[in-house]
Amino acid sequence: MKLTVNGKEHEVDVEDDMPLLWVLRDELGITGPKYGCGIAQCGACTVHVDGISVRSCQLAAADVDGEITTIEGLGTPDAMHAVQAAWTEHQVAQCGYCQSGQIMQAASFLDLNPTPSDDQIDAAMSGNLCRCGTYPRIRAAVKTAASRLQGA
Amino acid sequence: MRLLILALLVSGSGAGAETLTRAEGLAAWERIYAVASHPRCTNCHVGAQEVPMWDGLSYGAGAKHGMAIRADDSRIGAESVPCRTCHVTAAGRDVASPAAPQIDEAWRLPPVALDWLGKDSASLCVQLRDPELNDGHDIADLVAHLETSAFVAWGFAPGNGRSVPAGSVAQIAADVEMWGSAGAPCQ
Repeated sequence: MKLTVNGKEHEVDVEDDMPLLWVLRDELGITGPKYGCGIAQCGACTVHVDGISVRSCQLAAADVDGEITTIEGLGTPDAMHAVQAAWTEHQVAQCGYCQSGQIMQAASFLDLNPTPSDDQIDAAMSGNLCRCGTYPRIRAAVKTAASRLQGA
Repeated sequence: MRLLILALLVSGSGAGAETLTRAEGLAAWERIYAVASHPRCTNCHVGAQEVPMWDGLSYGAGAKHGMAIRADDSRIGAESVPCRTCHVTAAGRDVASPAAPQIDEAWRLPPVALDWLGKDSASLCVQLRDPELNDGHDIADLVAHLETSAFVAWGFAPGNGRSVPAGSVAQIAADVEMWGSAGAPCQ
């Protein structure tokens, strides 16, 4: 089947029900999305399908119905996405395992809701777990990114 | 007997309607309420609280959806976490019970007006028979929802040990039709 990931089309020979996360990591070598729980409880595998955040461990390869973006395609070190820039500025990451999913969730959230309330930020990020407990910095970075994206 | 009455109704004779007694209508309503008050229905028919429930899923009575999930005004969580972030729109993939169910329809909450959670039999009965209290849905609309909704179909076959209401899609649709034909009695 054909999958478009980060603007590049790939032909993959996989079972229909192979989770997208497996396809990305094991077939295409795109290892930014992480495996955490496998049941949509942690958010580490979050990628975008047509800009919407999706837990890639839940999405079977045959059910992908749009273009996939992973952390590798969100920005570059020279041209970071506003969320990535805020992440660096706030030094959010500790061990870093969850941050790919956190950043992808935040980027999609701010795209859908450019002027979020603090309450909505907390709700939007509650499905992404961080075992290092960097939640205060995550919240601060998302607020900073939201302000930047609004041009404040 | 119920099937016979329904067959008469469907045949278009028109005479069947009078054969349904108030008692039969009330009996049908009792079966309807048993289903409509089951967590498979009320977990989504939550009204203005916007937070889906996780009743009947071994998390204990009154458990709300984890991860601070809420449907918001959009009813699809677009203002925070979209339902589709976890609930993939796809048919036939029976995922493990702690994971998000997948059906061949975009996961979402019903409109706020279709608020059933915690309602007793009398209150829900009055609401369901009155389109003005029920987001414009008459009896025929209710039957159509039951017969065509992927949510309802999944609710009777949720798999993976999730609790299931008694009956089937066909039975609940027939009961609503019977109840309506008997004048939708509530007491």
